Parts: sequence; structure tokens; C-alpha cells
Amino acid sequence: FWFLHGFDAEEDLVGNLASMSTNERIKAIQKMPETMRKKREIRNKVLKEIKKSRHRGARPSCCTQCLQGAAVSFRRFGNTLSEYFHQLWVWRKTLKIIGAEFGTSVLSYFVFLKWLLNFNIFSFLINFSFITIPQFLAAEPNNLSFTGLELFTGAGYFQQTVLYYGFYTNTTISKTENGPSYNMQLAYIFTVGIYFVICFLILLISMAKFFSRNFINPQAFSGNASKLLCTWDFNITNEKAVKLKQKNLCTQIKEGLTEVNKEDVNFSAMERVRRIAVHLLAWVASLGAAAAACAGVYFLSINNLELFMKGHRNDLESQTAMLVLPVIVSLLNTLIPFFFSWLGHLERFQTPGQHIYVTITRNIFLKMSIVGILCYYWLNIVATSESQCWETLVGQDIYRLVLVDFIFCLLGSFFGEFLRRIIGTTVCKSLGLPEFDIGRNVLDLIYAQTLTWIGILFSPLLPGIQMIAFFIVFFVKKVSLMRNCQPPCKVWRTAQMMTSFIFLLFCPSFLGVVSVIGVTVWRLKPSEECGPFRGLPSMYAAVTEWIQILESYTASKWVVWIYKNLITSELFFFIISSFVLIVIYLYWQIIQGRKTMAELLRKQINN
Amino acid sequence: MGNKQTIFTQEQLDAYQDCTFFTRKEILRLFHRYRDLAPQLVPLDYSASPAVTLPYELIGSMPELKDNPFRQRIAEVFSEHGDGNMTLDDFLDMFSVLSEMAPRDLKAYYAFKIYDFNNDDYICKSDLEKTVNKLTRNELTPEEVSLVCEKVIYEADVDNDGKLSLADFQHMIIRAPDFLSTFHIRI
Repeated sequence: FWFLHGFDAEEDLVGNLASMSTNERIKAIQKMPETMRKKREIRNKVLKEIKKSRHRGARPSCCTQCLQGAAVSFRRFGNTLSEYFHQLWVWRKTLKIIGAEFGTSVLSYFVFLKWLLNFNIFSFLINFSFITIPQFLAAEPNNLSFTGLELFTGAGYFQQTVLYYGFYTNTTISKTENGPSYNMQLAYIFTVGIYFVICFLILLISMAKFFSRNFINPQAFSGNASKLLCTWDFNITNEKAVKLKQKNLCTQIKEGLTEVNKEDVNFSAMERVRRIAVHLLAWVASLGAAAAACAGVYFLSINNLELFMKGHRNDLESQTAMLVLPVIVSLLNTLIPFFFSWLGHLERFQTPGQHIYVTITRNIFLKMSIVGILCYYWLNIVATSESQCWETLVGQDIYRLVLVDFIFCLLGSFFGEFLRRIIGTTVCKSLGLPEFDIGRNVLDLIYAQTLTWIGILFSPLLPGIQMIAFFIVFFVKKVSLMRNCQPPCKVWRTAQMMTSFIFLLFCPSFLGVVSVIGVTVWRLKPSEECGPFRGLPSMYAAVTEWIQILESYTASKWVVWIYKNLITSELFFFIISSFVLIVIYLYWQIIQGRKTMAELLRKQINN
Repeated sequence: MGNKQTIFTQEQLDAYQDCTFFTRKEILRLFHRYRDLAPQLVPLDYSASPAVTLPYELIGSMPELKDNPFRQRIAEVFSEHGDGNMTLDDFLDMFSVLSEMAPRDLKAYYAFKIYDFNNDDYICKSDLEKTVNKLTRNELTPEEVSLVCEKVIYEADVDNDGKLSLADFQHMIIRAPDFLSTFHIRI
């Protein structure tokens, strides 16, 4: 900080600022903790100084002047662009109302939902423009009839539409005889591939930003000082909510003053053994429940496949039988977490933070193992079965799962919040209003997004459906929140939780999806009779064939060179991996060194 | 580019954009919010930089501030003479610091000033007691308040002088990652 004592300090400051680049200078002025009048004075002085130095003869070349002018107009353009984007977002007012009444913690769920919506909108746009629209030009007629049940089962009429992989042609589309042609195979694989690369980069950068801003420090869990001075939520502007928060803070302070600090209690050896045994038992129970759920889903899906293979009867009975698997999966995903939270209450953790983290770990393990077993079933059993078009079958399965999950989400809101409020205010008055369960809802979102990402390859328009579903979920949850819930009582470490959730979105969810897609593209044989990759030994073979064709053109030899020596060369990846590992190790050492220095300085201040 | 506005000169708007975290549209929107508090006092033409000050009662009645327990301190910290009466410059400055684009250090500096009731550049025990009372609506007994304040000073005071300096406060903020999102008012 520059505290302006004396005229000389100000002269130095102006000199410093004048020598910076425009962007840095603006950032530095914005960051100054002075009144607006002072900042404006300094800014004007700096601008005068810059003009003076220009006239004095340190005249920058035309090039630098051009660049600076371009930088200023680029910044102004960026500002205007972001203004227009801000206006597009209807959410601003909605988010403000939610934050005003319920605080930052509940708001973070809705911000996360809005962020996930962006992924789906982007995917839908590029899939629709690059894959679906060209397909319309080469579409085959659809002779199946439309009954309303297709919306739920995704089969029937929808089988021969652009919704699924099977409908896409493997030819090169061209309007006129020798006109520009459009290779559907390459378009399909490159669109999906580039989308996943962009998602990977976005997730990595977001995760890094969150980690650097909210370094997860588990020691800072119980801090009276920070609880008092740093956590008052200035977002809350509703009178009732403010009074409630003040009452909660009062209760917390009273509790904190009277109870013994749990961490200081030393347990006897017997007590410690008992606690460890209880924890171990609870973990065994939860892992056992997850394993049982997976086994159930697996056997149910095998039965499902037999149902498919037996016949393509389009009557009501077989159509509704297709819905049994998704309903069972969603039921398991809804009921088993209640079992987990009951276990958590039995276990009696030392801090509430441990409780939250353990519950979230168990839930994510359950959800990801169910998704995992379904992927195993799809890739190993469905792909090698004798069905006509296995990719479309997988796409239909995922469509049904997404749809039923969406319905269960709405039902969960109805039962968990609306009915609970009715019960809490009329029948059983001691329960009171329900609170919005942030953890459970965010994990549901991560599960839904995982399913959508897996489904992109098999059903290119699935992100559009998920986009509509997320829109509806946003508004239903918001209405339910405003009418039925009360603001949260307990402390919810928003920043740490958000960092953990984004990490969970990246690590089991996205990386799992990428490995599933990788296995599908590299190892599995596409079906013979449908889809853009029919007849090829694998989906990736389209790219290798294309490279072989390119080899015969001299103009594109560089593409072939990049492919042969960078993308398919193991030596290159080995060199890059070693380099990345070395850089990580160096940064780790730097962090350790800084930690030691901070400790030493702290000791010095204390003495 | 776009709408021609006659409230500010281009020079003034550029200065505002460089000194706050707001874009041109947001500055104009905030000006209209300021003007809506007292349309008869605030002229529509600011190109001559008129010296218009709105009294604290009007600022404190804004929906974003009226239920905040610290609204008086916020207005005092950001007003020019420390009495809560704000000019347009102070108004923009206040919401710029409380916006989501302001960096952590800037917010920490102003949060420290807000909690420093007696303006002596230290948060001493009496400042903390006033803060606790505002946070709990005066529902704790004086002994409980005193006990809490002693605990806070014991925990956060790094240089052991019995009161919290700006450095102690910033050290505490580093371990509270939620601070950035809670010290934030949407307007």
C-alpha cells in the first residue's frame, strides 16, 4: 500500500505509475485505498507526466504508440462486451434476491448451476452447428410413428432422428456434384474431441483459480476471531434474515463460551479404539451398501439387455419395462444417502467439518461407482452384443437416465422441501422449516453433468436436453427455496466447499468421462449398420485414414508431420511428462521454503 | 460508443472507469441509483462537478444497506468528512470496494476501518465490544461480550500489544477464504 505521507512520497508514486504499462497502471490506481478525489488527482498527475515525457523527446516509436492505442481501445471494447453479456443474464436479479435472503452459501449452489449450464449451452451449440445441421441435408426419411411415450423412453420414433448416433451418415455430404464437401466422420470426431479439450482447459483453470484463492487450510476450522470479524455476510439484506443470522451468531457464541473445546479432550486408549472401530464399521457398511447397489444395477441391466434382444415390440409393456432400470438407479441414488447421513449421526465426529467431508466422500463414491458399473455394462456387454446399433442403445439408456434423474430432482424438491414444510408447520411444530441441503443438491448436479458428458458421443443433442432440464431445475429450486426454506443455521465454509466441489467435478467426474470416451473411441468396434463410423475397425480409424489421405498432398505435409511426431509419438509424451513433473517438483519445493520462512517471520514478530 | 449521455463528460467517465472497478454502463446505473435517493437535490448534469452531498439518512435507507448492522460505519468510512454524508464520488467508491472485483487487500483495509469505531488505526477491546453487540443485537450479557473479545484478541493478536493492528487483521483474513465473498454487496 502506498500511504501518502508527504509530498515526496507522492512524487515517487507518480513517477512509478508513469513508468508502468497502461493495464498495470489502471490496476494499480484501482487498488489504491484512497478516496476517489485523491485517486483522480493522482491519475491526472500521472497522465500529465506521461504527456510531458512524450514531449520531452522520449517519444515512443509509431509502433509502441499504435500498440498502446490498440491496447486502450481493446480494453474499452472488452468492457462493452462484458456489459452486454451482463445484460443478457436474467439471473443477476434472481441471484441478488437469493443472496439477500439466504446468504452466500446457498447462493453458491445457484452460481454453480449457472456455471454448469454454460458447459451444456456451449456443447449444444457446437454439436448442433457442426454435426446436426449438415446431417439435415443428408437425412433419411423416418417411417416410424410418433406416440407420446417416446418423450420418456427415448425409443420408438426418436430412434431414427438426429437425437442419436445411429442416424448420422458416414458419407461425405455435398450439395452439388463437385462442390465443397463435408466429411461427417471427421466432423463428428473432431467436434466431440475439441469440446472435451476445451472443457478440460476450462476446468483446470477454474480449479487452479479456486485453489489459489481459497487455499484449503483445515486448521482454520474453529477460529473465534475469524468467525466474528470475517464472516458477517454483507450480502444479506432482508430484515428477517439479518435478525435470524444475528440470533444464530448469538447462539454460536454462547455455545462456544460454555462447552469444552472438543479438540483438547484426550481420549483414553480404550475410548480411542472404540471410536476407530465405530468409524471402520461405518465405512464398511457404506462401502457394502455401494457395492450392493452396483451389483443390483448390473444384474438389472443384464436383464434389460435380454429384453431388448428378445424383440423390438413397440407395445406399452416393453416400453415401460425400459424405464425400470433408470427408476431403480435414481431410487438408489436418493435413498442410500439418507442411510449415509444416519450413519454419520451415529458416528459422532469431532468437528462438523469432518462430518460433512466424510458424508460427501461416501455419496460421491456411491454415485461414481453406479456410473462406473453402468459404463462397464455399456462398453463390455452392450457393445459386444448382437444388437443392430449398440451406440443408439447406449444413447437411449443415457437419455432415460438423464430424464428420470431430472424428474427425481423435481420430486425431491417437492418431498424434501414442500411437504417437509407442511409437516414442520402444521403436524409436528418442533421440526420447523427445512433448510436447503447444499451438499446433496450439488452432488446431484455433478452426477447429472457426468451422465450428460458420457452421453455426448452417443447422443449429440443430449446437452440441449440437459440445458432445458437445468433451466427448469434452477427456477423450481429457487421458488421452492423462497417459499419453503429458512436460511442456514450452521456455518458452511462456502469457499472451501466450492473448491472441493469443483475438484470433484474434475477428478472423478470429468476424468472418468474422458477415459470412458477414450476407450470407446480407441478400442471399441463401431456397429456395422449405423452411424458415421460404420465399417471401420474403430472410431479413431477415421482420423488415421484421413492422415493417410493427406500424405499424398504435398501442401499438407506439415499436418502429417505434426501427427506422426507429436501426437502419436510416445517419446514426445514422455518428454512432456518428465518436464511437467520436474516443474511440479520445483514449485513444491518453493512452497515448502516459503512456508518455513513464514513460520520464522511469525516467530520473530512474536518475540 | 452506443448511447450518448449528457450527464458526464467523456473525461469524467474515463476517470471513473480508471479509478473504480465499474464499467461505463455500471457507473451510469449507479448514478441513477444515487439520484433516485433525492431527485430534487441531485442535478442531471454533472459535467461541472457540482458539490452535492446526500445526508446519511438517505444513504442508510437504501435497500442494500438499511438492514445491515454496520451501515452507519460503512457510510462514515467512505464519506469525505467521516460524518456519513456522501457525494457521488464517495458513493461510487463505496460500491466499488464492496463489489466482487475488488482485491482482498483493498477489502481488508476498508473492513478494518469499518470495525475501528474510534478511528485510531487499531481495533481495541472497546471496538470489538461494539462490533460484537452489533453482530448479536445486544443480546449477550456484558460479561459474555467481554469474554468473547478477550478470546478474539488472544487468538488474533500476533505482535502481543493487546489490540489488533491492520497487519494482524490481514493475517486473520488470509485464513478466512470466505471473506472475499461475504464482504460484498450486489447493486
